[in-house]
Amino acid sequence: MSGASGQRISAPGSLGRDLALAGGALLVLLVLPLIFPSKVLLDYIIRVAAFGIFATSLNMLVGFGGMVSFGHGMFFGGGAYAFGLMMQKLGVSIPVAFAGGMVYCALLALVVGAICIRLKETFFSFLTLAFQMLLHSIIISWVSLTGGDQGLMGGIPRPPFLGINLANQLHLYSFSCVLLVASLLLMRHILQTPFGYTLRMVRDNPDRARFLGIDIARIRLTAFVMAGCFGGVGGILMSLFVSGAYPEFAYWSTSGEAVFMIMMGGIHLFLGPIVGAAVFMALNDVITRFTEYHGLALGITVLIFALVFRRGLTDFVAQLRGGARAKP
Amino acid sequence: MLRVENLSKSFGGVAAMSDVSLDFRAGSLTAVIGPNGAGKTTFFNLISGAIRPDSGRVLLEGRDVAGLPATQVVGLGIGRAFQVAKLFTSLTVEQSLIGALQAQRHQSGHLWRRFPLPDYRGSAHEVMELLGLHTQADAQSGNLSHGDQKLLDIALALVLKPKVLLLDEPTAGMGPEERWKMIDTVHRLWTLGGLTLIFIEHDMDIVFKIAQSIRVLCYGKVLAQGSPDEIRDHPAVIEAYLGVPAESLDQPEAGGGPARDAH
Amino acid sequence: MDLTALLECVTTLSCVVTQTTSGLIIGVLLFLVGAGLTLIFGVLKVINFTHGSLYMLGAYLGLTGYRLTGSFALAVVMAGLGVALFAAVFERVFMRRVYGTDVLMQLLVCYAFILILDDVVKIVWGPEFQSMGMPPAFQAPPVLFGGGVIPVFYLFLIGAAAVIALGLWFLLVRTRMGKIVRAAAHNPDMTSALGINTGLVYASVFALGGLLAGLAGALAAPVRSMSPGMGFSILIESFIVTVIGGMGSVGGALAGAVLIGIIRAFGSIGFPLFVEGLMFMAMAAILILKPSGLFGREER
Repeated sequence: MSGASGQRISAPGSLGRDLALAGGALLVLLVLPLIFPSKVLLDYIIRVAAFGIFATSLNMLVGFGGMVSFGHGMFFGGGAYAFGLMMQKLGVSIPVAFAGGMVYCALLALVVGAICIRLKETFFSFLTLAFQMLLHSIIISWVSLTGGDQGLMGGIPRPPFLGINLANQLHLYSFSCVLLVASLLLMRHILQTPFGYTLRMVRDNPDRARFLGIDIARIRLTAFVMAGCFGGVGGILMSLFVSGAYPEFAYWSTSGEAVFMIMMGGIHLFLGPIVGAAVFMALNDVITRFTEYHGLALGITVLIFALVFRRGLTDFVAQLRGGARAKP
Repeated sequence: MLRVENLSKSFGGVAAMSDVSLDFRAGSLTAVIGPNGAGKTTFFNLISGAIRPDSGRVLLEGRDVAGLPATQVVGLGIGRAFQVAKLFTSLTVEQSLIGALQAQRHQSGHLWRRFPLPDYRGSAHEVMELLGLHTQADAQSGNLSHGDQKLLDIALALVLKPKVLLLDEPTAGMGPEERWKMIDTVHRLWTLGGLTLIFIEHDMDIVFKIAQSIRVLCYGKVLAQGSPDEIRDHPAVIEAYLGVPAESLDQPEAGGGPARDAH
Repeated sequence: MDLTALLECVTTLSCVVTQTTSGLIIGVLLFLVGAGLTLIFGVLKVINFTHGSLYMLGAYLGLTGYRLTGSFALAVVMAGLGVALFAAVFERVFMRRVYGTDVLMQLLVCYAFILILDDVVKIVWGPEFQSMGMPPAFQAPPVLFGGGVIPVFYLFLIGAAAVIALGLWFLLVRTRMGKIVRAAAHNPDMTSALGINTGLVYASVFALGGLLAGLAGALAAPVRSMSPGMGFSILIESFIVTVIGGMGSVGGALAGAVLIGIIRAFGSIGFPLFVEGLMFMAMAAILILKPSGLFGREER
């Protein structure tokens, strides 16, 4: 699998095309419960939505920005806890807490990013991991606030808003689908703006970008903050789903799983990570049903993708589609 | 246009540049030559803001730009192409040039409308035509042939309409035919006017054919400067660099010079 | 946070002695693991994320070895060699394919192995906590020093680690193989041009790292219980150690390991739940102030 620094297709996308695709997907998703009224299916899709948003946000950094962050889970966990705490302690409405969670993630990303951006690649990766695990340690030890390793106890209140009652599974499902489509659309748009192309330029050749007068640090920090916010959205969705927040959300394994999803789904197309998330979750569910040795099965699967396929699923598509233009 | 005064730079005790003073008239076409390790690329790095000099001044139209970061120096009108082309490998030729333009017009951070913004295509295509890259407009930069990559590298500097263009070994890595094609392109660019062009080159045939004036660097110092004829017969230059009698330089082969490794 | 307890301890000699020895125990174990990790990075430019699992394998192999032979010494040797062999095979079959690719790829392959090995251990040895128990040779009354109590085994452990470290130093500095390893770290192309089988060198370095980790795992077995998944926390800590000490520097690994050991020992008194946080703060501090580590070489 060629890594984050590999060649990519920069398919010129039009807003119209993206909106049409998004609209179509949303329609299908919303109609799905009528055709397959299975709780298991709906739960699965909600989880895929949460992780799909998270993995796509990480790919903004890794795939499109060339910034390999090992600590992205800090936003998943941080967003979940911030949202959960706001709902529990402040008694605000869901939209307000949602916004609050995103603001928290933005600030966290600003502070952490400003420190980490200055470092070279591998050190950047290590330091982001250090910060994530630091956050995890704080969560574990600040028992009075976070409940320690038990997680946020007592559930998250879900007062209805705008006629939407997130305690109702169908409402939660629809909300998740809308959130998924909206988040992906937004991230897609960002990556198709001049900013998005500047980000690619900084990834491909930071020296040349500097010679063009581009402020590398500012571009990277902006990308980091945006990725952090969307990562937080994933975490908030998850906390709504499980009605709580757990330290595992901020543990390194969350970041590691997101990396799996990106690699499995394909690093070159924008939709790669969400495909990867869907596949990973399905694989995970199936494996845990059949054997208690999911580590073994999952590990072997990852090895096959990494060493045999050497690319993610959508990368195959990209290769077929692009022909001479695409480079895996 | 460009004047360098007493420029010096040392790396850990080794003087890469010692008290170099040079002058480049507006609209001139100058070749900078010298043996490996003479400091030619260091010279370019110092002028373009890639590294800071220890002392000395770099005057661009009278303004001292020594020590300014590359981002600023580029904005003031110094463009640069590199020995090894620095390209945005995943972007197409057209996208790369538009990206360069958008950076110049401070639109790099634009988040509202989609890329590419209107009215950039025209300027990008102009430059592509100038360099013969218009047939490759939609080719991914990373997939281009070596020669086309060097052309794109020059295009990326040229598209910003610089006052001074620094070309670091434009013919590096090319065979004899391609080499002349490239230098013809460079010469043609220069004849269009409005550009002060400085290029580093190892192939003496090319240098003596097209350069208006030549600057010879050796061990970080100026060894000689003048017209091609003056340099050809300059004893110190012959001894230090050319090393062969002047007649054999007229041979069409790409010989007549010292080993042409990258410096 | 319990600062009064910490203050009390620091001002009591017996507590200082006990905690310092505890810290040294943790430190020497982390040094052994970290030295291997840092060597592998120095020579192969690869971060071996499976290193914690190698430690775990060493612990379990030591356990089985002890149960089979009844001799702790034999068990330790078996564990070390077993893990060394595994590491060499792992390197030749799997890691070799990801040299030169980016870190994410190496991370993926290693993480896959962590998952696989955790389950393999679960299958072979069972998922419950296991312990070796203290071998009879060390069931002597503890040593009293400055009012503090030091178990005999701790002294043995520190001594054993010192011997291993000495052996390591000798190997790297005085033997031809060591010189080759260091040359390969410095300039792989040149070394291969000199006709030295770089593949063999790489496998050897991995084997050496595995040996150290395996020995550490087995040596720690009497005083640590083991379970599948125990490798991960060792991985994180030895990782921190190598970053603080400087990737590629064995001396740095020693310094970093002792530091982390002390932080852990005293930190668990003052900040019982936040000990890991302290370690990550130390790591973050180094990365911000001197990214190449305490003893690392500055890069361009």
